[in-house]
Amino acid sequence: MVMNAKSTRNILLVTALAAVSVLSACGGGNDKNNNAGSSTNGGTTGSADKEVTLRLFSNLPDRKSGQGLAEQMVIDNYIKANPNVKIDIETLAEEPFKNKLKAYMASNEALDVTMVHGGAELNTLVQAGYVKELDPKEYEGDTYKFLPGVYKSFTFNDKLYGLPRNSDYEVIYYNKKLFDDNGIKIPTTYAELLEAGKQFRAKGIEPMSMNGKDLWSFAAFFQDLVVRLTGDQNLMLDAVAKKKNFTGDENFTKAAELLAQARDTKLFQESFMTADYGASQNLFTQGRAAMWYMGSWEAGMATNDKLPEDFRNNVNVLKFPVVEGGKGKDTDLLAWNGGGYSLVSNSKHPEEAKKFFDYMMSADQWAKIVWDTGAAVPAQKYELTGKESELQKQLTEVLTGATSTAGSIALDSGTPKFKDDAQNAFGKFFAGGSTPEQLLADLQKAAETQ
Amino acid sequence: MQKVFNNKMAIFLFVFPGILLFSLTFLVPIVLSAYYSFRDTLSPGTPSAFIGFANYTQLLFHDSRFWLALRNAVLLGLGFILIQHPIAIFFAIMLDRLGGKAEKWFRTIFFIPCVISVVVISKMWLSLLDPTFGAFNKMLDSLGLGMLKHAWLGDSSTALISMLFILIWAGFGWGLLFYYAGLKGIPDDLYEAASLDGASGFRLHWRITVPLLSPVITVQITLAMITALKQMETVFLTTNGGPGDSTQFLAVYLYNKAFSASQYGYANAISILFIIVCLLATYISNKLTRSDATEF
Repeated sequence: MVMNAKSTRNILLVTALAAVSVLSACGGGNDKNNNAGSSTNGGTTGSADKEVTLRLFSNLPDRKSGQGLAEQMVIDNYIKANPNVKIDIETLAEEPFKNKLKAYMASNEALDVTMVHGGAELNTLVQAGYVKELDPKEYEGDTYKFLPGVYKSFTFNDKLYGLPRNSDYEVIYYNKKLFDDNGIKIPTTYAELLEAGKQFRAKGIEPMSMNGKDLWSFAAFFQDLVVRLTGDQNLMLDAVAKKKNFTGDENFTKAAELLAQARDTKLFQESFMTADYGASQNLFTQGRAAMWYMGSWEAGMATNDKLPEDFRNNVNVLKFPVVEGGKGKDTDLLAWNGGGYSLVSNSKHPEEAKKFFDYMMSADQWAKIVWDTGAAVPAQKYELTGKESELQKQLTEVLTGATSTAGSIALDSGTPKFKDDAQNAFGKFFAGGSTPEQLLADLQKAAETQ
Repeated sequence: MQKVFNNKMAIFLFVFPGILLFSLTFLVPIVLSAYYSFRDTLSPGTPSAFIGFANYTQLLFHDSRFWLALRNAVLLGLGFILIQHPIAIFFAIMLDRLGGKAEKWFRTIFFIPCVISVVVISKMWLSLLDPTFGAFNKMLDSLGLGMLKHAWLGDSSTALISMLFILIWAGFGWGLLFYYAGLKGIPDDLYEAASLDGASGFRLHWRITVPLLSPVITVQITLAMITALKQMETVFLTTNGGPGDSTQFLAVYLYNKAFSASQYGYANAISILFIIVCLLATYISNKLTRSDATEF
């Protein structure tokens, strides 16, 4: 085939375009927001210190609101105080973040500081020697003000490998307007919750939004039910640790039956099995679902001006309702410390990284900023400023009023394999309609083969 | 030129970079994968112990999820071959007959799904099939078929069939393009001669088009099996193998085992079996569809 010059040129042009767009597709998305904060150090070359670029890997892609904004503010503060430091942030949403962190771990990628999930996820990083041991004594005292017991999911073999950033606990967020307008009682018992669900469904409103595709919320919901039935925060954790059995235990059986009621009365939105975190949140924040079962880290919803004002004024917090005849109280809180930060072992600038890490974890940085901006409830002692949103006050009340806390979410207390298998069991239960007995048998098997 | 190709050194110099690249990006990873498949690792990078064939015995004899994923892949492959390809051939013939501007137009339209990013396709179908606001259920409603409304991808009884539908739809344009190109290579006078002999319509195509297309069909069937086996992106983005395991496919399962369940050694064992299955599928489909090249 003979081509003339023009068509050859066109082909080359198209190829080049295609190549460029492929390249930009690869690079885009993850780190677009990187340089917002780090460019500020451009002009200050007068400093005697050596220029350093630190790499931070985080699961907070939204840098304009909520915790992402808080993280960015800490970084900006640090850069202002240390003009020789540049901080490169790479951010990914939750699930992709976890996966990429493992890829980084495998290739020994030299990050400096990384966000970590406590429990099983962090444990694999520890076993790979990817994160550094910390000295808990360094973080005592007034600079840090960590609350007691918050290191639990960051400690392995009595050694500390990271610091928690938040106090996490499960609540039910609800849209007060939807309850009021439809004359539905705000539930305090599980039966009332299911009843409210039926009434909302009859009115064509989704009762409770659930991120079913991610699956872990089901396990938290189940753990909440177990605690409400027994008042025993350790029962489910013991079952994961094989000290108890999921099968043949009347409490677990009852809890699984209650879970089946939620499924069978269609408490969750219709498309809950294909809804990821963002989809479930959108449904709730757009006022199309009355409730959202989610953690305290979403305190920022009330102050996020990207959400409809009508929603922000009406979002409230509800404690997980008590179960009729159960021994648990509504002050038994499914609380743990899930997210935090760790230092990476093969960091290229270990001293600078530690300096930044300590700065970030000091009480007047992350903890103060997340609280002041209403982004989350920190794992450190915080002072009320008086400017808190209504939602924050309610969340604080839930935490300070708690009479017992779990310390760990059951899914994260086993191995990652257990987590995967258990999540799969819940997925089968909710989508395939397996029986409560099958669910418990599957959980038992998951615990045994972890 | 002749001299250069006689020089062994020159041949080596030309071939070496290719071989090196091939080894580094292809052979070495497979060998490493095989190595790790015999080990018990918690996660990439963690210490591991040699455990022989334990991963394989577990996979082959005790892992129903693996077999389910394989069955789904085979179902998808069959779906491609038995549903997608006949439709693609039919449309290719129609397209070929159309001629002129219309032919170009429709060719482009049919190919559009193939140039859309998989992410867009996945999100699009998630929305279309959404039980509350999805267009598909709305359409059923307006047709008076409201009782058929469903959480298509969210219910394990319909998830697989919906997924197969999406995948068959998304890959349709490629099949069409291949067959269309193949059709263009069949000389018109064959059809003329056959119609003079009294053949027409379906018979004409059954006797002439299909046999002459057979080299294309052979390649397509092999490609279909491989595509089905390595199906990953759409599933990962829409259901992630769920709900339950109803849309589990090998590549997604492998990915989740490695990165969600942190069973790195086990995932490597899956990947080795995966390679074997792919080779087998290629071999079998080649065997079955083998025919002597048609001369015309």
